[in-house]
Amino acid sequence: MKPSPLLALLALLSLTTAAFAGAAELTVTTKGGKGEAVADAVVTLIPLDAPVPPPRPDQRTEIAQENQEYTSYVTIVQAGSTVFFPNKDSVQHHVYSLSKAKKFELPLYNPGQAESFVFDVSGVVTLGCNIHDWMLAYLVVVPTPWFGKTDGLGAAIITAPAGRYRLQLWHPRMTATITEEITLAESPDNRREFTVALKAERRIRRAPAGKTGGYR
Amino acid sequence: MAFRVFRFRRFSSQLLLLLAGLIALVQVAVYLLISRANERNAVEHIDQSLQTGARIFQQNLAERIDYLAGSAKVMSSDYPIRQLMMQDPLDRRTLRSALVTYSERVKAPVITLLSLEGEVIALTDDEMGAENVGPFAYLIRQAIRDDLEQISGYSYLAGRLHVLVVVPLYAPYPNVAAWFGVAYPIDTKFAHAIKNTTRLEVTFTSDDPDEQPPRVLSTTLDGAMAQDLARHVPRAKALPLQSETITLNGEDYVTLFQRLDLLGEAPVRIALQRSLMAELAPARELENVVLLISLAALAAATLAALWIAHGISQPLQQLAAHTQLVATGDYSRRIDLPREDELGQLATAFNHMTAGLAERDRVRDLLGKVVSPEIATQLLHSDLKLGGEEREVTILFCDLRDFTGMSEKMNPTDVLALLNRYLDRMSAIIERHGGVIDKYIGDAIMALWGAPITDPGSAGKAIATAREMAQALQEFNRELAAEGRPALVFGIGINTARVVAGNMGSKTRLNYTVIGDGVNLAARLESLTKDPAYDTPIIISEATLRAIPNPPPARELGEVKVKGKADTVKIYALTAKGESTPPYAV
Repeated sequence: MKPSPLLALLALLSLTTAAFAGAAELTVTTKGGKGEAVADAVVTLIPLDAPVPPPRPDQRTEIAQENQEYTSYVTIVQAGSTVFFPNKDSVQHHVYSLSKAKKFELPLYNPGQAESFVFDVSGVVTLGCNIHDWMLAYLVVVPTPWFGKTDGLGAAIITAPAGRYRLQLWHPRMTATITEEITLAESPDNRREFTVALKAERRIRRAPAGKTGGYR
Repeated sequence: MAFRVFRFRRFSSQLLLLLAGLIALVQVAVYLLISRANERNAVEHIDQSLQTGARIFQQNLAERIDYLAGSAKVMSSDYPIRQLMMQDPLDRRTLRSALVTYSERVKAPVITLLSLEGEVIALTDDEMGAENVGPFAYLIRQAIRDDLEQISGYSYLAGRLHVLVVVPLYAPYPNVAAWFGVAYPIDTKFAHAIKNTTRLEVTFTSDDPDEQPPRVLSTTLDGAMAQDLARHVPRAKALPLQSETITLNGEDYVTLFQRLDLLGEAPVRIALQRSLMAELAPARELENVVLLISLAALAAATLAALWIAHGISQPLQQLAAHTQLVATGDYSRRIDLPREDELGQLATAFNHMTAGLAERDRVRDLLGKVVSPEIATQLLHSDLKLGGEEREVTILFCDLRDFTGMSEKMNPTDVLALLNRYLDRMSAIIERHGGVIDKYIGDAIMALWGAPITDPGSAGKAIATAREMAQALQEFNRELAAEGRPALVFGIGINTARVVAGNMGSKTRLNYTVIGDGVNLAARLESLTKDPAYDTPIIISEATLRAIPNPPPARELGEVKVKGKADTVKIYALTAKGESTPPYAV
């Protein structure tokens, strides 16, 4: 996975926080039942002893629609963040969520439009599109600025102040969130490895481009 | 005693019974076999159609579930549901009306929308009430536990049996936002639908142990029969795989019990049935035809039997009648039976037999004329063989005096006629006295007493005969005198002696006769009567006289020396009237 601007921002944020307390770096590795790397797992660190800083207002998170797909399968934001949904396609989309964390919709909006919402409640917001059934994305709203998403190798690196945290591990195909307490030492070498059981992947197969049921 | 019933005097009755009985037996056997085979076939066929029906039933349910699930899936991805579900708070009334719309679209009477936790958000059936949809929540829990995209089951909803299907409302797939529950009643209409495809009677009964007899949930049978059936529903957990025949309201139904497991409740029993009578209807028609053919065959067999019996018994009766005639001695009749078969042969043989009998009778008659009846009987009743036996007989010789000289003056025909007249009279007397005429030697007669049948009174009979012959000759001479013919004179010699009696001659030609000195003596005594010195027509030997218990008066003539013998024999003269001193009557 290519380093995204978001990750860069997160890294920057971590460094800033580390200036106040001793900085720690946690590397979480997730593996499946057969030892394979699990990508897109969300690792969240909720501080147990320290207050949670508010989300930074200058942060801009985007879940774009491009090529009739959401640009990111799993996106993590701190509660209170604003997320933009730009339509970068040539067709209209109808983004919606029926999730408890945030029920919303962007009824049929045109290419070029970029609506945004503020996500206040922590939880998983599953995004769909009323027009394109196969479009699926998860927006994970977490109550902390310290979180990470595993890459193609199943690894996520989070820099946070040393201290006690509740670590939460979530993945779209996990049946339940894994929660455990973790104490981060002032070291770049905090490691945690998880083996997770994943449900079979269920995705709607995208309709082949240009083919619509045989009428042409 | 029992078989006496089947004894018939008439052959035709026996044949009729035999033929008709055999045919009837065969027909009854065939009928029974066909009937049994048909019934077995029908049961087998019903069993097969029941098994097929059971599969169709399961298939039907599966298809209905698929249909309901498919409908629920279409509903779940329907735009307005998502829009309504987006609202906060939820507009339950509008949601319900949307479900009612779906209900109309997919023809499922019960549709409910449940939250992720299994609480009812909206329900089409107001009367049912949210408290009755527990089975949906149960299915949802199972679907979550097993991560299923579709789950179905059977349960009571508001006391009525339903098939339930639960599918998730994905927003988007595979994210479950809510659950759709769809239910379809397994009611009488459903039972009839199954009946339409399978031609089987379908009955659902509860298997709640508290309900005895089981409650009929729905059925294609009429009420009373269904109740009757409910009493037959097996309680065993493991149902028999094979069908069984149950009599409902007097009609046999081949029945296969199936089981439908309910969600957390006692299972439901499904009885699939087909009427044996309905299945057998075409076979019964065939049986009736067979029965008709059987009866026709039986009638034909009866007629044939009568015809054959008539064809046999009539000639048999004819033969019997003729046999009776033959038994009475009538050999003159012949049977006219122009047939080629055994009866014809029998008639021919019978005719031959009758002819043979007539022939034998004639021979016997002739024999009686040629030899004396006693000898004839002796000949007929014993094997004809040479050789004889010694026995005491009395021999009588009677010879006409000077007949040769007299006959020379007459023509031969007259001689024979005269001789026959004379012999006829004498023979009659001899036979009347039990004498056996051994032979005629020209005008002479040789007669025997005591052979072939032993007779202790032979000597007396011979003497009585001789006297009667002498009287008969006087009578005959009077007739001859009237005819102008000269009188006949005879002499008689009688002797009693042990002689050899038997068949003598060659193997092909035999004579029954006696031989011995005694015979010669009798002949010699007869010739002595020619001696005028003795002056008597009848001379008997002492042996003859001694053989009579009360000897008749006789005049001793002295002793004669027998030819070829050393000793002498005393002889006596016998008169016709028995006087012992002259003048003698004859």
